Amino acid sequence: MKRRDFFKKLGTVVAISAVAPMMSFGADEKKAKGPNELSYEKALEAITNGKGAKPSAKVHLKVPEIAENGAVVPVSVEVDSPMTEQDYVKTIHIFATKNNNSRCLAVHFTPANGKAMLATRVKLGSTQDIAAIVEMSDGTFLSASQSVKVTIGGCG
Amino acid sequence: MEKVKSLIKIKPNTYKDGEVVKVSFMVMHPMETGMRKDKKTGDIVPAEYINNVKFDYNGAVITTMNVWESLSANPVFTIYMKINGAGKLTVTFTDSKGAVNETSSKIKPKG
Amino acid sequence: MKKGTTIALSLTLLASLSFSGEQFAMSDADRAMYAEMLENNPADIMVAHGEELLSDLGGETKLAKYLGVSETELPKYIAGFPRYIEKFGMVVGLGQMLQGMMHDSKKKVLPLANSDMNDLLAYTKSIANDELINIDVNANQHMKDAYALGKITFDTKRGGRGLSCLSCHSPDVIGTILRTQPLPDLRVNNTGATWPAYRMTKSNLTTLQGRMQGCMQNALLAVIPLGSPDMVALEVYVTDKAKGQAIAIPGLKR
Ligand code: HEC
Repeated sequence: MKRRDFFKKLGTVVAISAVAPMMSFGADEKKAKGPNELSYEKALEAITNGKGAKPSAKVHLKVPEIAENGAVVPVSVEVDSPMTEQDYVKTIHIFATKNNNSRCLAVHFTPANGKAMLATRVKLGSTQDIAAIVEMSDGTFLSASQSVKVTIGGCG
Repeated sequence: MEKVKSLIKIKPNTYKDGEVVKVSFMVMHPMETGMRKDKKTGDIVPAEYINNVKFDYNGAVITTMNVWESLSANPVFTIYMKINGAGKLTVTFTDSKGAVNETSSKIKPKG
Repeated sequence: MKKGTTIALSLTLLASLSFSGEQFAMSDADRAMYAEMLENNPADIMVAHGEELLSDLGGETKLAKYLGVSETELPKYIAGFPRYIEKFGMVVGLGQMLQGMMHDSKKKVLPLANSDMNDLLAYTKSIANDELINIDVNANQHMKDAYALGKITFDTKRGGRGLSCLSCHSPDVIGTILRTQPLPDLRVNNTGATWPAYRMTKSNLTTLQGRMQGCMQNALLAVIPLGSPDMVALEVYVTDKAKGQAIAIPGLKR
């Protein structure tokens, strides 16, 4: 990707998220709790433009089956990709599907990463699915999800 | 404003040009959700979380991140990056209260 | 998360707690994932900060000189704390030793309950990473006394619920689940060699003495002050259980 294009893309992402993180939605009026409340379903629809994402064996999502502590749950995602200018992973989104704001992290890659992988740690309020939605450079969306059993919630 | 403590770790410790290495960025930050009650006062602790992270390698933006409050306190971000010459990796990060910080690490490929 | 500072728990109840290990058991894959997290322990930042603080005090060179050892001997020497130190005339942990160094170099003396002090202590102990704990509880009468006091403090029942440290950390109850947490074996856990550690439930770096104060609070035992002879004695007793095991600072704990 040309540097200039990249900045353009980055500019939009950052600018929008500065106003209303990521997408502008009318917040769910009924039980607006956190500052960025957004359900997984709505977020998925917005990111994929309603197309949805296809479960794929190329997306390797790793989370513990049982979390020792909901406040620190390790999550890693690796996507099979040559990471060339022609074919690379554009973005990996991570969702905690039942958290008030389901969005945890969106990582925007470039071929300069050499490998499409990310690892981080999330807070989970309860037992739920973690989902990874992956946007490929050809505009397709892949996904993977896995459930995590939480013995002590992490949002206390 | 006090400087936010952060750290960049590159694995392995020594690497060659062209090698794909693991980069971890760690930062001390409370990642307050805005939904937690202070145990003593009972008041809601206002939201305060890292919201953007940018990795710059010798002037080229290689990765950016949108971050939300669901990440753990003192978050860790691990990605990979292809070594492409000596220079500097700079991570710039902002939080929801508007604080902007950066930290960098020298890139010194051997061979 | 529920705070649960009070544990409504009698000894009989404790004894009757079932070994519900199955229910909370993590798979090996889970365990491996948590172990991987050690590679990027958030407390690495605190330890790096501790390194800066030590270099403000003159760094490892100055520390070795202060302790009267060569720089190459320094890691092994640190792996033997708490120690009886002649110039203090008592058995001290690393924190108090560092306070002495601050005092003697006319720097501001940090209190023991202080996050900079925790960072500094953690870095100082990490100088001995990979060294084996070599505390010698028979080195002299002071150490013998400290060990004996530590054992008494550990074994004696006190407080509103008549609990001792041993009530929860004896071989009879180890592995029993208490409020979803298995009671840990301080020997198997390598406790003496893995604190200061990052506590994921608290999101901070805690020292061994600080951790033990946490247990006292939870079990309604009067809290023994940091650096007091009883507290240092407890540290001696608990550290001795990890003798011969490798130091790995910062630890990472639930
Ligand atoms: C009511 C039961 C109980 C009592 C009494 C108790 N502890 Fe604990 N202790 C625990 C539990 C449970 C844990 C582990 C908690 C966790 O995983 O966070 C623990 C953890 C510890 C640890 C950290 C172990 C490690 O390596 O992570 C130390 C050290 C410790 N206790 C020391 C003491 C001392 C010293 C006393 C006496 C002053 C004491 N405990 C009294 C229940 C108890």
